[in-house]
Amino acid sequence: MRDSAARAPWLFAAPLLLVMAAGFVWPLLQALINSFHPNTPQGIDAGQWTLGNYARLFDSFYGGVLVRTLRISIMVTAISALLAYPVALFLARLPPRAQSLVILAYVSPWLVNTVVKALGWTLLLRTNGVVNTVLRGLDVIASPLKLMLNEAGVVIALIPGHFIFVLLPLWAAVSGLDPALTWAAGTLGARPSAIFWRVVLPLTLPAFVAGLVINFIMNMTAFAIPMFLGGQRNLVASMLAYQVNLISLDWPLGGALAVMLLALTLILVWAGQRAASFLTAGRGLRP
Amino acid sequence: MSLEIVDLVKVFGAVRAVDGVSLSVAGGEFFTLLGPSGCGKTTLLRLIAGIYQASNGSVRLNGRDLTAAPMHTRNLAMVFQSFALFPHLSVFDNVAFGLRTRRVPREEIRQRVKEALALVKLDALSERFPAQLSGGQQQRVALARALVVRPDLLLFDEPLSNLDARLRDEMRFEIRDLQRRIGITTVLVTHDIEEAFVMSDRMAVMQAGKIMQIGRADEIYRSPASRFVANFVGPINELALTRVETIDGRRRGIAAGELTVWLPQAGAGAGRGSASLVLRPEALRVAAGDVGTENRFPAEIVDVVYLGGSSECRVKVGNLRLSAVMPSSAAARFRPGEPVSVGWDANDGVMLDAG
Amino acid sequence: MIRAINFAMLIVVLAPVVVVIWMSLTPTSMFVLPLTQFSLRWYREALSYPGFVDAFVLSAELAFLAAAITLVLCFLAVYGIVRYRPRGAAALRGFFTAPILVSAVVFGIAMLQFVNRIGIYNQFVGLLLAHVVLVVPFAIRSLEATVRAVPEELEWASMILGRSRLSTLLRVTLPLCARGLVTGFLFCFLLSFSEVTTTIFMTGPSLQTLPVRIYTYMSDRIDPTVAAVSALVVLVSIVVLVLLNLLGGLRRLTSQ
Repeated sequence: MRDSAARAPWLFAAPLLLVMAAGFVWPLLQALINSFHPNTPQGIDAGQWTLGNYARLFDSFYGGVLVRTLRISIMVTAISALLAYPVALFLARLPPRAQSLVILAYVSPWLVNTVVKALGWTLLLRTNGVVNTVLRGLDVIASPLKLMLNEAGVVIALIPGHFIFVLLPLWAAVSGLDPALTWAAGTLGARPSAIFWRVVLPLTLPAFVAGLVINFIMNMTAFAIPMFLGGQRNLVASMLAYQVNLISLDWPLGGALAVMLLALTLILVWAGQRAASFLTAGRGLRP
Repeated sequence: MSLEIVDLVKVFGAVRAVDGVSLSVAGGEFFTLLGPSGCGKTTLLRLIAGIYQASNGSVRLNGRDLTAAPMHTRNLAMVFQSFALFPHLSVFDNVAFGLRTRRVPREEIRQRVKEALALVKLDALSERFPAQLSGGQQQRVALARALVVRPDLLLFDEPLSNLDARLRDEMRFEIRDLQRRIGITTVLVTHDIEEAFVMSDRMAVMQAGKIMQIGRADEIYRSPASRFVANFVGPINELALTRVETIDGRRRGIAAGELTVWLPQAGAGAGRGSASLVLRPEALRVAAGDVGTENRFPAEIVDVVYLGGSSECRVKVGNLRLSAVMPSSAAARFRPGEPVSVGWDANDGVMLDAG
Repeated sequence: MIRAINFAMLIVVLAPVVVVIWMSLTPTSMFVLPLTQFSLRWYREALSYPGFVDAFVLSAELAFLAAAITLVLCFLAVYGIVRYRPRGAAALRGFFTAPILVSAVVFGIAMLQFVNRIGIYNQFVGLLLAHVVLVVPFAIRSLEATVRAVPEELEWASMILGRSRLSTLLRVTLPLCARGLVTGFLFCFLLSFSEVTTTIFMTGPSLQTLPVRIYTYMSDRIDPTVAAVSALVVLVSIVVLVLLNLLGGLRRLTSQ
């Protein structure tokens, strides 16, 4: 009787586990394996093993792409970080109905595919797009600003696009704080700014950091927005992956690129978690 | 530091949570706000603390008008039901919090925190974190944190509800003794009558945002101002009164439609519409023979309920059910079905407006 | 000041979507500003463009199947985790939410190479598998809240009265999860319907979902027709979102 109870959860989870094994683990393994084979005009040489694909990733061209991707991602994450707290605090103080509505407004664009959003940003930021037309019409600028086909355009479009990944966890953490904590701080003499820095910020930092990590990963791996707003002159990692895998059909290299991106992602997540547990070390806080 | 509240009102949307409350607390007094949940006592406390801004009325602490003052300028301290200890700070840093916001020099902070922790008997735990403490210990830290800043006023919001029963009893006395020693003006909010009675000098019973009665425990218990107060602070026997008349200086009426009773000299409802006679269970005497009180009636024992030190005797007078409480040694002789006489002295009853 | 930041952010977040809808209503073949006259001609263009209609049908089928399959798989798995609390629960949960961390690009590359390796490149089944995996993390999170909301005591009562665990699951738990299942389905549908990156990597011209079709169209030119199609996509999303919100789903899905 006890034996079947121990097996039962695994029976329930088995179908999903199988599908994940076949559709998630195996493909990743496949890419990993491919990355260690050399590529030839006839296809992947499965008989030979090499580290050459990884070596190629460190040359100046690929390295440059990586650096650009990092640069853009860091910029977007940094700006999002600055905006996240003001918005989350504002939201948390709204009456419940208003809060739901505003959250809905923030979440809805996320559920529209990024190609449509890229189209929207194109229409907004291009030379004779909405932004330039409005600014020229108001006589703020004389000639149109170059807001597209450069890194600036990518950054501008990615910030709102990935904001939700920081905002939601942070908002949840802020809303989840026991209000008595802020009242206790207040009655003990802390003015509102001190309450924020000494109580709210430390207690919501883990959620904030976790959100920033996800936001950063999304920035690093964005595809449609950099494609349309950055263009071919501003390659980022995902566009590079597209070229390598679907145009050059160099799957070993493509696999290596995928593995590298994944490794980077995992390192970031790990670092984020270490940061979070460092911040809550010994405090008995749930990270 | 005396506290003066005049006509305080707090409105939330359509709800008048605090509806014209006035009271004053003398310096060093332990004052309790007592009432059922939703009566406005917690809202009133939060108004005093500055967590909520009053819609109308005023709050004065030692003459100083606090009504519009922001929370952090009021120089009072509050102990919360959930303790509200900062989970990311050690016990020491929790207690030191209020001193740090006041920019007290480091050495002095160390000294005062040490003293405060010794006061609540937690000196050894200053490096622990709240998550590692028991409920009782957390409570003491919350107390130390409040006391260390030497506030003009100490506020408690149902501080003992999260503790188990035995600990609660202990802490009641500890807090009480501490308060007496330090002499700090204190306001406590609770729904627990025993707590209010044990700890307070005076209390206010609240209902629906208004104060029903203010007084000492014995005043409220023996001379409740209304049926609500009477029923709230302890069990009662309630008899509807009709045909109240005065005969030779003594008042008399018909209780529960059947019994002719002598009524207390003082009391509300005199001559006006409907009234009730309220009797505390311990005011009722039960005896096998003559019970020897002013009002006495033949009765029958319905049940004897053993409660430990005392017992409840449930009796039937005609169709009227009454409940009497007496030491268990006295109640032991009664059996269900036994004929007895039950009665009370007129002045042990209270006359109140019905409803 | 903080209020201003919030409004600004809200505007910026909604701007691209609003602009697409607005621009799709242009009466001429160019995006002329300011846009004062409106016309639906590009919607007619878009709807009569076979590429878009076929892609829409494919996307809808794919999303429906992916959501349905994911829901069944995840409901079972979540039930097992929540009710039995096995020792590997945290690891299981971590595993099931891993696709988010792996990111759509890496997964797309992996799927591309995988489907080619086993010979099902550019076929519906491979795409369906990918979409199921992509949507699992969200389904798990949403369903866990749903199942937890059903008090375990109800199931015990049912089993004490004689029903087996399985029968209880189907007759007692499942009906009580109805609302959560519907909102989970809608959410997964929307996520699959709007999936772009992984799909681009692993499909060819003969198997294009609507977002991918829009993408290839846009790589060629940007005109009101594609704006109209995009506006229709937004419309679908809005409809599903409104449904979700009415069923109280968003609150459940957005609280951690």
